[in-house]
Amino acid sequence: MTVRTINRFGTLVLVVFTLTAPWVLPVFVDAFWVDIYSEILIWSLLAASVNLLFGYVGLLSFGQALYFGMGMYGVAIGIAKLGFGFWGGFGFGVVLATAMAAVAGVLAVRLTWHYFAIITVVFSLIFYFLALSWKPLTGGDDGLPFSMPPLISVGDFELTLTDPDVQYFFIVLMVGACYAIMGRIISSPLGRAFVTVRENDLRASLIGLNVYMIRLSAFIVSGFIAGVAGALFALFGRYASANFMFYHVSGEAVVWAIIGGVGTLFGPIVGTSLLIVLREELSHVWAHYPILVGIVVILTVIFAPKGIGGIWAALVHRFAGANTGKGGDA
Amino acid sequence: MELTIALALNGIVWGLIIALIALGLSIIFGLLDIINIAHGDFFMVGTVLAWFVAETTGNYWLAFLIVPIIGFALGALIEYTVIQPIKNAAALSIVATFGLAIILQESVRATFGATPERMLPPIHDTIPMFGIEYEVYRLFAAAASIAAIGAFFLFLHRSKLGTWMRAVRFDPETATAMGIPARRIYMITFALGFSMASLGGVVAAPITTVYFEAGVDILPFCFMAVIIGGLGNLGGTVAAAVLLAFFEGIITSFTDPTFARIGSLCLMSLVLMIRPHGIFAGATR
Repeated sequence: MTVRTINRFGTLVLVVFTLTAPWVLPVFVDAFWVDIYSEILIWSLLAASVNLLFGYVGLLSFGQALYFGMGMYGVAIGIAKLGFGFWGGFGFGVVLATAMAAVAGVLAVRLTWHYFAIITVVFSLIFYFLALSWKPLTGGDDGLPFSMPPLISVGDFELTLTDPDVQYFFIVLMVGACYAIMGRIISSPLGRAFVTVRENDLRASLIGLNVYMIRLSAFIVSGFIAGVAGALFALFGRYASANFMFYHVSGEAVVWAIIGGVGTLFGPIVGTSLLIVLREELSHVWAHYPILVGIVVILTVIFAPKGIGGIWAALVHRFAGANTGKGGDA
Repeated sequence: MELTIALALNGIVWGLIIALIALGLSIIFGLLDIINIAHGDFFMVGTVLAWFVAETTGNYWLAFLIVPIIGFALGALIEYTVIQPIKNAAALSIVATFGLAIILQESVRATFGATPERMLPPIHDTIPMFGIEYEVYRLFAAAASIAAIGAFFLFLHRSKLGTWMRAVRFDPETATAMGIPARRIYMITFALGFSMASLGGVVAAPITTVYFEAGVDILPFCFMAVIIGGLGNLGGTVAAAVLLAFFEGIITSFTDPTFARIGSLCLMSLVLMIRPHGIFAGATR
């Protein structure tokens, strides 16, 4: 078996599990795990948006919650205040988040390192406080609920997210599309340029790459991904709230991405799943389980900065190397 | 008008306390190149420890002595266990300190509880000032902060350790070659940062609420002071903290406090974009 076969097999297992989850999960565990799995898929997109920036372009954003929140508010305001339908609201959320990322990105990607992390937090804080104080539009602390319009409505036939199966597969479809887009970008010349900038931005500029534009495009794509996540989460929870724009949400996404393994496509799903399952399982047993999360975060940074994805890659390489007898990179 | 004066005075008092906390953040960044997300929680731990000292001994003043020492010890311990091992993964230091923030907050929630507590100021009197009755304790808090900040600058510029700290910051390799124990200086710096934040917590405990999320609220303000004052420009940090809090206080008396906060954050973005060395660049370093 080669590394590629093992990774393909892993992806296949993930896809099959995701597609059969509404029937498989209730058999083995409880039906509410289907909901939790939907939540994991949505949050993993937010982690993936952090991963795209940090893992591929080398920019650590601590403000992804801003684009998540824009996606949420776009959907909620679009549906509750502007009278949009389902797709109008969804599209409005995603467009709003992407536009926000484009505007913020033009300024933010001028900076790198710590300064980039700080400016992304500052931007997200500005809009967090705006959302808190602009109560007529955003509902402030209480959030902005909305009633779910139908997905498709033809005559008597109606498809809405109030049907759990429709909701689950809508989320799977959207999340799957986002991962497909990211996978496509990463393997494209643009993705190669991302990694080049991450490894050495000076060399990248010397071989004729426009470092600024490459960083900006990564920032906008990542804002788009976070925006889809936010729009999906608004539809999933049927409301939007300023609390999801606070920097702790951004921080959590960074933690999920780091523990899952930055610079791998599916690392964010692994990290997000692990930490959300941990939360669901441990919060009943020990209310102060976040202490454990904090310890895991620090240990990961010290001992396995490439996260679970990195450990997996090392194991697979060793296994594949031993099997084929080549052992090239074991 | 009375409200404006009171809020402006409150702003100056808070600005001085923030300056004390932000100085710790600034020296940690300047010397160790670490963005310390947990710094607000160092302050929070200070307020909680002050509350514990006041509850158990019945004497709030003891906290001024005990808490900075505990803070120093905790800081040294954290530097040794968390900060030292991540020296090679500088980009991830933000993530590690975020983990640290979670641990500190959750530990306090587990021991102290999730309900906010209010502490009564040890001095209840008020005195007339600028036509209003002003709490004496707040004046004391301002004086204590000024004394602590002054002591810190004296330490930094007059003592051997302080000189070593400046030398390591200037050029770690040459400093090590000259026989300065850079490793130990890093630890002392971090511990001192924790100690100053926890002292800020003691000073602020009677005029704020004591609870496990207090650090989350104060952290953005500390960063604003450090950035607007100029990263590594310690005098600038103090000036920026006081000015920001003063203006936020005045703006708050006319409109929603969050607008004051948004204004400061916009100013901070501008400084980051246009003058990354702070608005006082060129002043004392």
